[in-house]
Amino acid sequence: MQGIIENLVAELTRLPGIGRKTAQRLAFFILSMPDAEALSLARAIGAVKEKARFCGRCFNITEQEVCEICSDDTRDRDRICVVEEPSTIQVMERVKGLHCLYHVLLGALSPIDGITPERLKIGELVNRVRNNGVTEVIIATNPNTKGEITAQYIKEVLSPFPVKVTRIAYGLPMGSDIEFADEVTLGKALEGRREL
Amino acid sequence: MLRRTEGIVLKTFPFGEADLIVTFLTGSYGIVKTFAKSPRKTRSRFGSSLEPLTHSKISFWGREDAALPRLTQADIIHPFDTIRSGLQCFLKASEVLELTLIFMPERDACAGVYGLLVSTLHAMEADCGAGLRVLHYKLKLLDSVGYLPRLKGCGRCGGDSESFHLSQGSVVCDACSKGSAVTFRLSPGVISLASNLLVWDTAKIQRIKPADGLVMELSRLLDEHVKYVTERELKTRAFRG
Ligand SMILES: [Zn+2]
Ligand SMILES: [Zn+2]
Repeated sequence: MQGIIENLVAELTRLPGIGRKTAQRLAFFILSMPDAEALSLARAIGAVKEKARFCGRCFNITEQEVCEICSDDTRDRDRICVVEEPSTIQVMERVKGLHCLYHVLLGALSPIDGITPERLKIGELVNRVRNNGVTEVIIATNPNTKGEITAQYIKEVLSPFPVKVTRIAYGLPMGSDIEFADEVTLGKALEGRREL
Repeated sequence: MLRRTEGIVLKTFPFGEADLIVTFLTGSYGIVKTFAKSPRKTRSRFGSSLEPLTHSKISFWGREDAALPRLTQADIIHPFDTIRSGLQCFLKASEVLELTLIFMPERDACAGVYGLLVSTLHAMEADCGAGLRVLHYKLKLLDSVGYLPRLKGCGRCGGDSESFHLSQGSVVCDACSKGSAVTFRLSPGVISLASNLLVWDTAKIQRIKPADGLVMELSRLLDEHVKYVTERELKTRAFRG
């Protein structure tokens, strides 16, 4: 008996951000759940692994060969918005007026972690630009060091192609006070200022 | 207990939904790993202060022996954001950060290396082509942690030799080296460049322009030496192609 719970704890610690203590708490919670709920959780994990996969074009998560967004003919097919993770697509989709295609890199460059361009879907992005008459690539990687150097790298590899490469603006978060912004954030916001 | 010091962000690692594990090289406590709550949220009070290379005044909270004290404050002294904004320059700086992470012990202050890191980053920010500053940093770092390769005088008998043996971390003369393979034949220029770099002051290092060949020879030697000592390839080296 002890062995079975220990096994579940060990499996749970594989998840990101889950240490041993949290894993134990989760394991005991699962133990106390009604059978139906616990089994439904187990089945959901199984179904994701069986059916969900990365879209063959944009690396969004999908149950089909090609995701819903890539197969949607009403979209702007000559604009691609580049993001780090599939989950970012859902956030971008809430923005009105952006009705374009996406490309998920599945991460960001990080020299100190050994994450090189080859570990990301950058080559696939270049191929899409080369073959599909893309006119604009909007880089929406995170506004931090990894996201920034990734954006620069993409701009470099896309420079031989007749495509406009844009980067989402850095600004101050809506609803915040300027006096609480640090000098780097404020500097970037000034750099990106526009005429009213 | 609340502790205050200043530090440079060496590395960050996302944790949970919006938290971050931040590793600093600090002035008073050596390498310290801290837990920062929610800096990845858009309206976090940490702002950009936890980006790699940022030099800040920090406070962290936790028992003396806590593995992961909680970072309570980080006020930027100097952001070094110009180093981060160029890919090539950031790659160079990443190597400096990685070596620091590998060789500096946790919770063991070394004011010399800390001051050197700060001044090296300032030099890189002023001129990212300052290749000598990076070499200087590597040599000094290896020296202060006891891994400096011995380039002058046989490691066994002290006699003359230009044959560097990786397995010995030293030059070894023919008589003493029975069987062990020579890894590098050192040129006289490289030996004096290395010993000069260890004693020259910062101003001199900025003035001197040694031949590219010498700088490359010394870089390659240090790379191989570090690889031998750590038994692995530096992660940042994967970017050098
Ligand atoms: Zn798709
Ligand atoms: Zn000897």
